[in-house]
Amino acid sequence: MPFVPVLHAELIKIRTLRSLLGALGAVVLVTGLFSALAGLDSGAGEEDFDPLFSAFFGVSFGQIAAVAFGATAVSSEFHGGGLRATLAAVPRRGHWFAAKAVAVAVPVLAVGLIAGGVSLAVGKAVLGADANGLTWAKSLRGVIGCALYLTLMALLAAGLTALLRSGVATLSILIPFLLIVSFVVGGVSGTVADFLPDKAGQVVFHQTWNGSLGPWTGLAVTALWAAGALLAGAWSVRHRDA
Amino acid sequence: MTSIDVQNLTKEYGTTRAVDHLTFRVLPGRVTGFLGPNGAGKSTTMRLVLGLDRPTRGTATIGGRAYATLCDPLRKVGTLLDAQAAHGSRTARDHLRALAVGNRIPDRRVDEVLAETGLASVARRRVKTYSLGMRQRLGIAAALLGDPEVVMLDEPSNGLDPEGIVWIRELLRRLAKEGRTVLVSSHLMNETASFADHLVVLGRGRLLADTPMREFIDARVRPRVRVRTTDGSVLSQLLAEHGYEAAAHDDGLWTVEHARVDDIGRLASAAGLIVLELTADEGTLEQAYLDLTASATEFTTTPARTLTQEA
Repeated sequence: MPFVPVLHAELIKIRTLRSLLGALGAVVLVTGLFSALAGLDSGAGEEDFDPLFSAFFGVSFGQIAAVAFGATAVSSEFHGGGLRATLAAVPRRGHWFAAKAVAVAVPVLAVGLIAGGVSLAVGKAVLGADANGLTWAKSLRGVIGCALYLTLMALLAAGLTALLRSGVATLSILIPFLLIVSFVVGGVSGTVADFLPDKAGQVVFHQTWNGSLGPWTGLAVTALWAAGALLAGAWSVRHRDA
Repeated sequence: MTSIDVQNLTKEYGTTRAVDHLTFRVLPGRVTGFLGPNGAGKSTTMRLVLGLDRPTRGTATIGGRAYATLCDPLRKVGTLLDAQAAHGSRTARDHLRALAVGNRIPDRRVDEVLAETGLASVARRRVKTYSLGMRQRLGIAAALLGDPEVVMLDEPSNGLDPEGIVWIRELLRRLAKEGRTVLVSSHLMNETASFADHLVVLGRGRLLADTPMREFIDARVRPRVRVRTTDGSVLSQLLAEHGYEAAAHDDGLWTVEHARVDDIGRLASAAGLIVLELTADEGTLEQAYLDLTASATEFTTTPARTLTQEA
């Protein structure tokens, strides 16, 4: 079966579920909102003040929406025998899952760019003169990093959902992980915590870094996590009875 | 022609054997009823044919090919497995459009099958607002989407109203007349009798029968004649003389076992008996089916178990 029609079908499925469109809207809204709030209480003037991180602070919260999107896009297939109807239409399961992953990645990438742009604009506006240290190159790195990071987190959630066959299970692992575990162990730099999918990817939002990972190597580590989750999900989709 | 071939098919879930060395063929041009109690393995067999579950042993092919190797499978095989398969938050039209696009089926087919299944007026409503009968129709619409040569429906009359049941009956007859291969599972005997030409009967995953429906009934249900006369005692004596076994009911009605109307009519006429009513009591599929399952002792000694997969 050719790939393009299958991908087209998956994109239609994404476009026709209101909850998924809502999650995409929430990515922009939440990211922008929390970046603005961060700017109000940025700790500007302090020694370790980082205007880039302040401008993209909202990504830590926007990613929850991206993760929910990735999980829901896949879990919507597990409703009452839905996967059977899907796999009866596309029996080459690897093909189907690849199409699903692309159909998850493309809208998040687009929305991530918008969220990054909005976040930067709002963050800078709120910071005012405190944002003067932000160079154009670093800002661009932040916007692109935001799009890539959110896409990878959505794919991580998509892969995990396919593996666990449940959006609820995925979200109840990922959301506490992102909100609690990372915040707690996140302060401890220079340890394995640097290699957690969110910590590694978020280096891209810092002006300077002193860990073993830079902005792009950090995103590469997040990409490895996402790839691992997708491979595990693909394995599950291909080898288990539908 | 495209037939469904099941060869020595076996599926085990842990220690439970849901399908047990099943071999049968479903031929085009007729409606094959797929019968068996809940948990007999009908749905499992259908999933195995579609490659959704992996068989423990054996093969299932459609037109000689495994389903998973078909290109644009919906254009060759249409299936209804579960009326709940469509996501509740999508409209019926969007649900069908996604299926059509993925199998390179022209968009106009979406509107055609919506009209054919009587859903055109509600096509833009969310599926969660649908009744079970409407969901069933949507599932059938999805099965017909690719104008397939093979149609496989699992319990299609579930939840349909009386008009819906008449509609599905006529639809199935028409699909078979057009030369398609039609396999329809059911546990409703009278319903199946109204559309099936051929029967495949399962019990506990095993094949109990694979015969034309008429033969299936005739082989199991003894023909009877119902006769009503003004003089029961003369009739009773006459029948006894000719070796018939007869039983009396109210209103002077008698039933004669192992008899045909031609013989009883002639007999009564020769004896100058006044006959008020004379009818052949044809066996029903239900009687034949119960007779079959009673003879397959495992049904009567243990209650039919229900596999979770059947739910």
